Amino acid sequence: MIACLLIPGFELRAALRTRPRLAVVPAALAPEPGREQLVGPVTAAAEAAGVTAGMRLGEALATCPELVLVDPDPAGAEREWEGVLRRLEDAGFAVEPVEPGVVVFETLGVERLYGGVEAALTRAIASVGPAWDPRAGAGQRRFVALAAASVARPGQAVIVEGEEERSFLEPLPLSLLPLDEGRYAELEGLGVRTLGSLAALPGGAVAERLGQEGKRAWSLARGGERRRVRGRSPAAELIEALSFPEAVANELTLRRAFGALLDRILARPERAGRPFRKLALAARLVGGGSWRRTVTLREASAERGRLRAALGPKLTEIPAPVVELRLEAVELAEQTGQQLALVAPEGEEMGSRLREGLRQVRASAGGGAVGGVVEVAPWSRIPEARALVVPRDV
Amino acid sequence: MTSDTERPAASPSVAGRLNAPRRALVETTVGGEPRLVDRELVTVVREEWRVVDRWWTDDPVDRRYFEVVLESGRNVCVYRDGERRCWFTQRA
Repeated sequence: MIACLLIPGFELRAALRTRPRLAVVPAALAPEPGREQLVGPVTAAAEAAGVTAGMRLGEALATCPELVLVDPDPAGAEREWEGVLRRLEDAGFAVEPVEPGVVVFETLGVERLYGGVEAALTRAIASVGPAWDPRAGAGQRRFVALAAASVARPGQAVIVEGEEERSFLEPLPLSLLPLDEGRYAELEGLGVRTLGSLAALPGGAVAERLGQEGKRAWSLARGGERRRVRGRSPAAELIEALSFPEAVANELTLRRAFGALLDRILARPERAGRPFRKLALAARLVGGGSWRRTVTLREASAERGRLRAALGPKLTEIPAPVVELRLEAVELAEQTGQQLALVAPEGEEMGSRLREGLRQVRASAGGGAVGGVVEVAPWSRIPEARALVVPRDV
Repeated sequence: MTSDTERPAASPSVAGRLNAPRRALVETTVGGEPRLVDRELVTVVREEWRVVDRWWTDDPVDRRYFEVVLESGRNVCVYRDGERRCWFTQRA
């Protein structure tokens, strides 16, 4: 069977991990800077006050003036989500993450280990932990599993057998389908309010009226396609981070700090010569928020210049001064082969000798013995603000 | 089976300041110029300048720098921190 584990409002829950007090008051995830001004997931108290996820910010504040807006923490959410996925993997599930808060996995391989589907789902819920209020569902198809998880209570698992699928989906609301707000209204205007009533319509007529999106929704309302779950490959563990003595907003400083992080991650022995396929650049912002961008390279590379060119421009998108900058290797390529140049570039031998010398210093004097000087504000009138000493691996 | 807490976490390395100021023992003349630096007599005050910055923050900077030559012939840069009312030595 295909199982789905659901954590509703995951981004908000992740952002509230450091401020648990806000979980019991009306609070909502604030819109990201530069995006449409719609509130994200909301707490139960906010929902009771009439605020719903996706509401316009002005409308939400007018509905509930005491609403607390929680700054989104995408890097924190990503980290917490990775933790959830790893706990599931540690329990033996080959997970395929759909989005933060939604993950699917195949139960076949672990049913005998835990003694059935229900026991496996109970184990999955327990491995995630009660703090996240996870709920699980299982069915023969992905959408059925997602729908089952959506109707389950926190900590509960709902299993839908093959012959029950149709009767299970029929009374469920259209909000389970991935449709635009306007489409819901259009369907409700036509008197279609449940998955059953949508599934009962002829497919051709739905496609003609609502286009490709409508056809897909119609297909899902009938259970969706049978697609196998593909467990993800384990994530890489390479992370380099640099904390600043004071918040940095200067792009030049950030570029230099990024250069130092790049040098350090390239020097990590765990990489074993493998080039990077996917990298993430994250920042902890002053005031508690965070920022994160992921870049997938068209061609896996371990060349400093190429990595700089791919990730460097992202630094200009950071919306606030940075307290900590992180560089994460999300995925490494498997091949280690590299086309060598016929003539070694000038200065390469000198560089390799210098690196060898520094390696020896590090081996004899310890990890923090080798550092690099990064000029951060050479124009500053305050001498100690002009440069930083950054510990580096060689 | 391992738990999440057993996995190695990325510990951020902290960047240190280069050329951070160090406390200095300074005796001054009536005019506020250094006469003794770390118990060594000042022979010449080569230069004097002021740095006032970050006055709009919670950590304002108000320094009066002196570049001096000591009796031993050593060149030293010291400053008086107007905020903390004490002396520091630093390479300017």
